[in-house]
Amino acid sequence: MRTHRVAITGIGVISPYGGDARDFFDRLLAGESAVRHLLVTEDLPRPLSHPFVSCHGFDPEAALGKPLALMMERFAQLGMAAAFQAWDQAGLPRKVDEADGDEREGWGCIWGTALGGLEAHERGGREMWLKGRERVSPLSVVQGMNNAVNAHISIQLGLGGLSTSHTAACASASIAIGEAFRRVRSGEATVMVTGGSDICQSYSVLRAWEAMRVMAPGNAETASAACRPFAADRAGLVLGEGGAALVLEDWDHAIARGATIHGEIVGYGTSCDHSHLVRPHRQGQVRALRAALADAGLAPQDVGYVNAHGTATPEGDPVEVAALCEVFGDGAAGLPVSATKSMHGHLLGAAGAIEAVVTVLALREQAVPPTAHLAGRIDPACEGVDHVLEGRRQVPLRAALSNSFAFGGSNAVLAFRAPPR
Amino acid sequence: MSSTELIRTFLVDRLGVQPEQVMPEALLAELGVDSLMLAELMFEAEDRLGIDIPSDVQPPRTVAEMQAVIDSLAALKTG
Repeated sequence: MRTHRVAITGIGVISPYGGDARDFFDRLLAGESAVRHLLVTEDLPRPLSHPFVSCHGFDPEAALGKPLALMMERFAQLGMAAAFQAWDQAGLPRKVDEADGDEREGWGCIWGTALGGLEAHERGGREMWLKGRERVSPLSVVQGMNNAVNAHISIQLGLGGLSTSHTAACASASIAIGEAFRRVRSGEATVMVTGGSDICQSYSVLRAWEAMRVMAPGNAETASAACRPFAADRAGLVLGEGGAALVLEDWDHAIARGATIHGEIVGYGTSCDHSHLVRPHRQGQVRALRAALADAGLAPQDVGYVNAHGTATPEGDPVEVAALCEVFGDGAAGLPVSATKSMHGHLLGAAGAIEAVVTVLALREQAVPPTAHLAGRIDPACEGVDHVLEGRRQVPLRAALSNSFAFGGSNAVLAFRAPPR
Repeated sequence: MSSTELIRTFLVDRLGVQPEQVMPEALLAELGVDSLMLAELMFEAEDRLGIDIPSDVQPPRTVAEMQAVIDSLAALKTG
């Protein structure tokens, strides 16, 4: 079976810094943290107080128009807006006439979300159990369903191919992107929209994460440096909301229509730890890394950067570094690695998407963002790779990896190449 | 809020209808009100006006019919 090269012709990100994708990447390069202190005291049984990453500047009605925005929960608004950004950057019209629509009958959307419409269900629950309402909004089902994002994307862009979502905790979006990649590479689809979106600030969600005792503490003064992957004093993860999207396109189709190619996706490796629901397993991660390299036809020495999963949990970070050391061997010491969750937070179902965007932009811009708050405090148990402590420019990158290692043991690694010069 | 204002605001905000299209004789279906959005419009009326629209009510076809449903239930509520 002939395989097709897969170009990335559109990139979209709802940035916690409020700007566009380029501004997002520049801020990461500068080591700027988007983590702030979330304090919510009204109408709650107990106040919420956490370091958190919010997309404060995101205006759903401005991005989508009021009617469309009101049909969606926030997790879908973030996703739809990111998808529109990527699509518009790809230079494709949003809708085509019926006569020309046949080509899009095979174009699809695969999206990642871990929590989906939990906020809608929580709101409905409050209405029913606390206020005694017998009915909730008739839109509750279609707003809260996990596949709301891909459904809206397919409707808005006239995509007639597969439209589905993947849920695998922190690996949701990486798996969505990988599965979309396979469909373009196989020739099944010429164009796929893919990515991920999630919101984590529902009361019940944050309380549930608190109960696991894995979240970094912080207040208004300390929140911005709360997420410290690989650091000896790392104290846990910082959650956030967000959305990011890629347009994946058959290479020849992109060239023929004169599209700008921002990068290439070349490999996708998966594995399951089959070991523990939350404890990471080195061998599972090693298998996913090797699978991605093999799928991409890359040797370890071809990789110039790894965007780590790096959640800043005490247990997870050393396991990931150990896996990288095993796969990259003698080359590990010179392998640049950074955990950008230190700045944009852990977006759960959107994590794989926003980190794929970071990795693609790193290759396009030939620059590597740092792990923030790490200088002078690397945990000896996390030594062995070239930790990027400050943003690096003019780095001759040819290929890079993005890791997602999730609760449940689902591992996904994506491999990318730089765009043609 | 009157039934007229509620219906007009809903149609304009949720379906992008032009305000001048919201005439009493206008067919709701032609203004983009499908079965799901009709249920949502009824829910909005219940929520905003404190009325309870029975599940066996004849589905209104026009703006005027929707107004009549709301106004009759509001009148019952105020006695």
